[in-house]
Amino acid sequence: MNLLIIHSIRFFAILIIQALILNQIEIGSGIQLMVYPLFIFLLPVELSIIYLLSISFILGLSIDSICNTYGIHTSALLSFAYLRPIIFKLFIPRDGYDPIVETNIFTLGFRWFIKCFGTLLFIHHLWFFLVEIFKINELFFVLQKVFLSIPISFLLCILLQFLFIKKSNEI
Amino acid sequence: MRNFIAFIKRFRVFLFFALLQGITFSIYFSYLQFPKYQYLTSASLFSGNILKLRNNLTKHFYLNYNNSILQKENIALMDSIPSSFIKLDNGLVKINDTIFNYQYEYTPAIIINSTHNKRNNYFTLNVGSKQNIEPGMGVFSSNGVVGVIHNCSEHFSVVKSCLTKDINIDVMIEETGDFGLLKWDGEDSKYGTLWGISNDSKVKKGSKIITRGGGKIFPRGIIVGRVSKTQLVEGKPLWDISVKFSENYKSLQRVYIIKNLLKKEQEKLESDTPVNNPK
Repeated sequence: MNLLIIHSIRFFAILIIQALILNQIEIGSGIQLMVYPLFIFLLPVELSIIYLLSISFILGLSIDSICNTYGIHTSALLSFAYLRPIIFKLFIPRDGYDPIVETNIFTLGFRWFIKCFGTLLFIHHLWFFLVEIFKINELFFVLQKVFLSIPISFLLCILLQFLFIKKSNEI
Repeated sequence: MRNFIAFIKRFRVFLFFALLQGITFSIYFSYLQFPKYQYLTSASLFSGNILKLRNNLTKHFYLNYNNSILQKENIALMDSIPSSFIKLDNGLVKINDTIFNYQYEYTPAIIINSTHNKRNNYFTLNVGSKQNIEPGMGVFSSNGVVGVIHNCSEHFSVVKSCLTKDINIDVMIEETGDFGLLKWDGEDSKYGTLWGISNDSKVKKGSKIITRGGGKIFPRGIIVGRVSKTQLVEGKPLWDISVKFSENYKSLQRVYIIKNLLKKEQEKLESDTPVNNPK
């Protein structure tokens, strides 16, 4: 029960951070900051993928409806959620995942987080910009946007975890 | 039948994923073409109210800049009212004029949400169908053209801005009268492109670009920007002209919505005229 409350608070917090703050920041040269995949990433490992897809559908649609993007965020987030179990299986730690422990940067280590979250975030960003631009002759522009946005989004996700997740809370 | 059920059971996760993706893509492509519903855009009451709340907090950030623009506009208006002129001729009688008639009606509005870094950028305004706003009306500010109303609900409306892939506003070069379509290539919110001017006419750098008034949306003569670079298109007798917008869309707040009162009359006249009947 406690977990449910934590995750619903996180849902609204990340919605507000993404839609009202980060979507208003403009750095230039097509950089966009997206941290909402972190919410899907931190959901429990044992959660069934059907729930995962439904939650990401709802989160994506609510971000889309606030920033007039008509479903691009939803589509990218759905692919993120669909690939999450596959990537988790690919980079499984030596003793497997503990179902009680949350999969954040403190419990599973910095290197695992870079590998796992980095791959997923790359797929998410690539999908997002491909759908947004949707033209094969602007492929170079897509890649420029992807490779400029990923480092900043990734650093922001790490920062959010250091700010809002208590290290001692985990057992 | 059993095989079919086994197939669905095996691939149920992928099928569910594909179903949700299908819904999302159908929303995406139907919104890009023709906006049918409001509940998934920022014109909906829920998102509109959230954005209004945020605008209440952030609208003072550009207060100085916006005030100076309003002041300039006020001075221009003050210059044109009758009391700021000296009457030289005392013998004339004022006659109620029936030669001129209103063609355009203006509504002021405030932008409560905007993006500039996406491929298609939409602005949200704080007026809606209760203020007689309809899709297809033009939006401009004191510095230039902003866009066209795309979709509206009771209290909010969404503007398809000049920073959109296929905005296609009918514009012309003021000096020579050559006309073309305004487009945006998605890279820089300061520059747009003017498409469709043939390369046998000379285009000077810095010449003013204004609306042509052919599309029944804007009157003739609203400024769009200035020519900043010209380049030949390969394989076509056309110029590729890059336009520096005169409006800075990043700090834009106050806009006017323009309603063409004679639009229906013009449309009716044009649709009654036979263009090219196939025989």
